Amino acid sequence: MRVVVADDSVLLREGVARLLADEGLDVTAKVSSAPELLEQVEANAPDVAVVDIRMPPTHTDEGLAAAEAIRRRWPRVGVLVLSQYVETEYALRLLDGGEERCGYLLKDRVLDSGQLAEAVRRIGGGGVVVDPELVARLVGKSRTQSPLQELTPREREVLALMAEGLTDRGISERLFVAPKTVETHIRHIFTKLGLPESAADNKRVHAVLTYLRA
Amino acid sequence: MRAVRLLVLAGGGALCAGSAVALFHVDQPSIIQKRGIVEFTAAFVGIAIGVLVWELRPESRTGPLLAAYFIAAPLSEGSWIFWNHQLPVTVAFALEFVAGPIFAHLILSYPTGRLTSRLDRAFVTFGYVYALAYALPRLLFFDPRMPHFRDVETCWNCALPYTHISWRNVDGIRSVFDWLLLPLVLIFLALLVRKLVRSSPGGRRVVLPLSLAAFFVGVQFVLQIALYGSPANSWTSTRWFWVVTLASLAIPVSLAAGMLWGRRARSAAADLVVELEHAPPGSVRDALARTLADPSLELALWLPEQRCFVDGDGRPVELPTSGSGRAVTVLGASDAPVAALVHDPVLLERRALLTAAGAAARFALENERLQAQLRLQLEEVRASRARIVQAGDEERRRLERDLHDGAQQRLLGLGMALQLARSQLVPSANGADELLAEAETELRAALDELRELARGIHPAILTEQGLPAAVRSLAERSSVPVTIVGLPEQRLGEPVEAAAYFLVSESLANVAKYAQASTVRVCVAKRNGHALVDVEDDGVGGADPGRGSGLRGLADRVHALDGTLTVDSRAGAGTRIHAEIPCGS
Repeated sequence: MRVVVADDSVLLREGVARLLADEGLDVTAKVSSAPELLEQVEANAPDVAVVDIRMPPTHTDEGLAAAEAIRRRWPRVGVLVLSQYVETEYALRLLDGGEERCGYLLKDRVLDSGQLAEAVRRIGGGGVVVDPELVARLVGKSRTQSPLQELTPREREVLALMAEGLTDRGISERLFVAPKTVETHIRHIFTKLGLPESAADNKRVHAVLTYLRA
Repeated sequence: MRAVRLLVLAGGGALCAGSAVALFHVDQPSIIQKRGIVEFTAAFVGIAIGVLVWELRPESRTGPLLAAYFIAAPLSEGSWIFWNHQLPVTVAFALEFVAGPIFAHLILSYPTGRLTSRLDRAFVTFGYVYALAYALPRLLFFDPRMPHFRDVETCWNCALPYTHISWRNVDGIRSVFDWLLLPLVLIFLALLVRKLVRSSPGGRRVVLPLSLAAFFVGVQFVLQIALYGSPANSWTSTRWFWVVTLASLAIPVSLAAGMLWGRRARSAAADLVVELEHAPPGSVRDALARTLADPSLELALWLPEQRCFVDGDGRPVELPTSGSGRAVTVLGASDAPVAALVHDPVLLERRALLTAAGAAARFALENERLQAQLRLQLEEVRASRARIVQAGDEERRRLERDLHDGAQQRLLGLGMALQLARSQLVPSANGADELLAEAETELRAALDELRELARGIHPAILTEQGLPAAVRSLAERSSVPVTIVGLPEQRLGEPVEAAAYFLVSESLANVAKYAQASTVRVCVAKRNGHALVDVEDDGVGGADPGRGSGLRGLADRVHALDGTLTVDSRAGAGTRIHAEIPCGS
């Protein structure tokens, strides 16, 4: 799987590239700014671009803007945005561009090369990745009266994994249960939370995140 | 000077009375005698008004000029004939036509009595020369006992002037002078119109009544010449007699009208003291403008520290220079002025009134000046406070960025190095594996703490995504459930958004710490150019805005943006924090 790494910090750029290479991924280019990244994507059509959210020249959200641009122009290229901010807003903004081949991970994940490589692979394979810490916070958020309280602990687990972007199969593998069981859980969750069935198809992560956030 | 004025009044009275009495000792038709009495009475009224004006406005020459005109008037137009004695006849011959130039002098120089335009001065000077030249032929050669066509009645036993040399027929030369009158009167009318056009609005109001009267006089004179050929012949027409008399009376009457205006203003100066006693601050200008009857009046207050004049709002103003059509009167000592009045130049003729009004308004002006000074300082303090808050925000942003790009990146780099080191180790190398794992755990904790610290200093999401995203993010993190009632759609400007954000952030932190609330409602809205921020909980209440630096700091931040912050927190009734911050339209 061909990967491009974009980060303005040499230390992290090289580090991430090395970690991914060690995990058996093919890092074809390392760049330090958004324009360079777009050039690389255009020229080499990688499977996944790993992008730091904050890059020159303005050091705000160029990474996210570049990710959005890539998703619009080259839908076959997956994008993983690495960020130091645990902000639902950014994840949702990324998901607004379509619920496939994208991910929003906290930068701390570079400390776990296995997790990082898995995320890149999932995205390369067409999936969605949302940082577990972000999801954990949303699920654990304090609320007054909420249908969430009616969920069984198992259903909560399934809901969190859904929010992290896992597919039904991914969930069943993670929880060591049959895919059928996962489907049942998900149907129950949707009914209990009053989410429309249509949301289950292609906007599932967005719908769940938005629900959790409210 | 008063003695001189009394002397002029007495002399004028004697002249008029004497002329009237003299009428009955000459052999003249009764109609002439009656007209004479009317004329001399009118002249005396004019002299009296002239002396009165002189008394009330000693700084103006209008009074003496008016008196002179009405003294000269009875001496002209053939009145001399009734004084059958050498001295009066000589004086009367000499001054026969001098009333004309005096009249022009009076009107063109009103209200100051001083001719300002060179053209006016030349015209009046020419008028005096003309009057003397007119008199000369009569003084030297005229003999009323000889037949002459100009005066209908021939006086057989009239006295001759001292200067009489011999009889010559001077009718021809006098006719030339008579005809010269017409262009002179026309020029006078033109100069009068020019004066009206050129005067300032306030000046025009003063000059207008007299000018209209003078215009009337001038026009009747032109008509008279047009109808009868010579002004002297008009003596025969009764209708013209009344027109002339009325016209000459119009002058003192209109002058009296001008004086009435002056009297009103003068008593208003006294009222000014009383008025200012109850005047709200900032109204001194209006009161002065009313008193001085100058709506265009501007007030400039002197600030000794800044050594400049400022307007009521504390903004520096430039005083107009001479020749700009505005006049400046500085109140107070020249080395320590209190204020300056920028006004219509016509008021310069009423220096006494200006001084009186200025003195009356002195204390109120001192007050006003202090207020202007205060406002200026307040404005400076306000601006510097806003700058401090802004600089603080800027600094927070910079700190956050430094943490993000510096410490956080380095720690991540360190973490990756540790990871790499761990992967290079042979299994269970003297427990180094466990040690490294422990270090990594510590590192993660440090990264978490650092991230929250950076976020607390200044959340990047506020700058990048705006207030709604930042407030939603706060709500996600709150340990007390938050209901967001509303968020503004448009951006509110960086300082306002920062203030609103930190207000919500600090309030939510307080709710979590003290309120024991089960829910918080947050609402940020934009209405009428203000950002309205509301944070309401259903907790125990009793928060004291004076205690604790959190709310205090928030209040300072809001005030720095000219906003208001109210904390409503009765015990047991929850806490409601409400802020209104101006944020432009």
